[in-house]
Amino acid sequence: MPVLAAPPRSVLDSLLNSGVTRRRFLEFCTATTAVLALPIKFAPQIAQALETAEKPTVIWLEFQDCAGNTESFLRARAPGVGDILLDVLDVEYHETIMAAAGDQAEAAKEAAIAKGGHIVIVEGSVPTAANGVYCTIGGKTAVQILAEATMGAAAVINTGTCSSYGGIPAASPNPTGATSVPDLVSGVPVINLPGCPVNVDNVVATIVHYLTFGALPAVDGHGRPLFAYGERIHDHCERRAHFDAGQFVEEWGDEAHRKGWCLYNMGCKGPSTFHNCPTQRWNGGTSWPIGAGHGCVGCSEPDFWDTMTPIYGRLPAPPGFGVTTSVDKIGAGIVGLTAAGFAAHGIAKTVQRKRAERANETPIEIETTAAPGEEGAER
Amino acid sequence: MSTETTPATPAPDAALGLGPTLECVTVKVWELPVRVIHWTVFLSVVALSITGFYIGTPFVRVSPEPGFLMGWMRAIHNLAAFVFIAAILARVIWAFTGNQWARWDQFIAVSKERRTNGWDGFRFYAFMTSKPPAVLGHNALAGATYLVLFAMFLTQIVMGLALLSLETEGFLASTTGWVFTVLPIPWVRFIHHLIMWLTWGFVVHHLYSAILFDTEEKTGVLSSIFTGWKRMPVDRL
Ligand code: HEM
Ligand code: SF4
Repeated sequence: MPVLAAPPRSVLDSLLNSGVTRRRFLEFCTATTAVLALPIKFAPQIAQALETAEKPTVIWLEFQDCAGNTESFLRARAPGVGDILLDVLDVEYHETIMAAAGDQAEAAKEAAIAKGGHIVIVEGSVPTAANGVYCTIGGKTAVQILAEATMGAAAVINTGTCSSYGGIPAASPNPTGATSVPDLVSGVPVINLPGCPVNVDNVVATIVHYLTFGALPAVDGHGRPLFAYGERIHDHCERRAHFDAGQFVEEWGDEAHRKGWCLYNMGCKGPSTFHNCPTQRWNGGTSWPIGAGHGCVGCSEPDFWDTMTPIYGRLPAPPGFGVTTSVDKIGAGIVGLTAAGFAAHGIAKTVQRKRAERANETPIEIETTAAPGEEGAER
Repeated sequence: MSTETTPATPAPDAALGLGPTLECVTVKVWELPVRVIHWTVFLSVVALSITGFYIGTPFVRVSPEPGFLMGWMRAIHNLAAFVFIAAILARVIWAFTGNQWARWDQFIAVSKERRTNGWDGFRFYAFMTSKPPAVLGHNALAGATYLVLFAMFLTQIVMGLALLSLETEGFLASTTGWVFTVLPIPWVRFIHHLIMWLTWGFVVHHLYSAILFDTEEKTGVLSSIFTGWKRMPVDRL
């Protein structure tokens, strides 16, 4: 969908041109204010900013990815956010959806980069092993492409867990040396929107925030915007009352499962995962994984494939023991072995003392001074 | 030795008909705060372990009527956690203000004498001698194991507060948030869970050693944690 040499247009112009009504536009601004967790009084400010803002140029790069974020982007709620997003943005380069190909596409990209001030959206991790040969496009490695595209960029937005943290390609043993974008880019503001895939509402909100306030939204310690990743899934989950009550699903399809009880014992990672899934939801706000009856897999946390697994177990498997061994088995084993060890020690120690006594040694000094009395002190 | 050393033959010994104890001194080794802290830690660890184990593995099946079992378990866990933290803090303070047997150098053998004492302790455990190390408080080897326990408790407190910060905002999160830049959340849970078991492993060792020394050394270790008094033949002082 590259817009060929279009003159700069305001976001609102572009929207009105493509048949979005002003009413729908204001609805969009209000909804985005809500996603951003801003007080509703910001809606007019957002509307005003979008009315005047120039359409930002976007270069969408795909590296080691599953195109899930592109899917999410295209399947946004209709007729809704995604359509508006596509109209709001000047997507100069996007391998999966652009009409141009080959040299023409590369030329569009280069022109956008040369102009500068563009937004780079990255999907997928960047392989660095073997000089980056595991992902090359148009004869360039992903490392090179990323370095070129981010030069002079206004911001880098990582969509999905792979570009944010390395994701599944970077999971152990990481044969391609997959690396996250923040580890490779410097000098440009970078924000992470992890998730498998990213929720397009959060992409839109991030961009709108950027257009309205001229800066990327505030982030947490993992570079994720607080508006979308500031709250834990577990704390907004509709099954939470069942958690607090101690009502848990024990087996898939059991009565508790049919009743919608808590999925904690089925390995739900909601207590360890920060994301706005429970409130923002998916598929046009109709449902989300836990709503559909499956535990959270923790996909928006760094290294989730290595740290949130086993998917159906609550805690990681003890290293070196295999996935069926639980921390409780190891722990109880440690206590048992300690007890057995000291029992044996106690027997041996008693034998040693008895022997010493028999050999008429003075086993302990105390016996030389107050032997009779001390015997009585024993219980 | 210490201001608390009392001359021999206090009333209880005579009452028990223990015979001549002139050669022994009875010493108030564990002051009241030490004993109170000891039992506060013990009771809070019991409460933390029961509730913590339930949090980790909700083993009670509840009837379909809505209740608040997990909610209560977590509330008690948090309450006991702060009692526990207070007790540990108090003990740290007491390590600098208490008597010589409560001091920090009982746990970290800085002096040559303490190191020799620790070696004697090792020889006693390793069957190289049948003589327990001569000491009125902790022998230096035991002191070192308490240092390990202390490190475990400290880890447990930091991890617990970090886990608590997941559901709170502000102060806790800003002071313990760094934990999750070092360790992923599930591993923090894992370690917090494992240290519970290690603590009970320690309890086994601790009880065993207390009984062992009570029988071999006959200084009244077992009762000392209730009364504070230990007995020692004068020539071992
Ligand atoms: C010796 C002391 C302690 C023991 C034995 C203990 C034990 C446990 C255990 C076994 C769990 C379950 C972990 C899991 O499987 O996910 C747990 C959870 C937890 N503990 Fe502790 N704990 C101790 C001290 C503390 C302290 C000092 C705090 C500080 C506030 C704390 C706060 C928590 C929190 C917040 C959770 C997570 C609850 C949840 O996920 O809902 N614990 N504890
Ligand atoms: S289903 Fe998962 S996120 Fe929801 S309350 Fe249970 S453990 Fe928490």
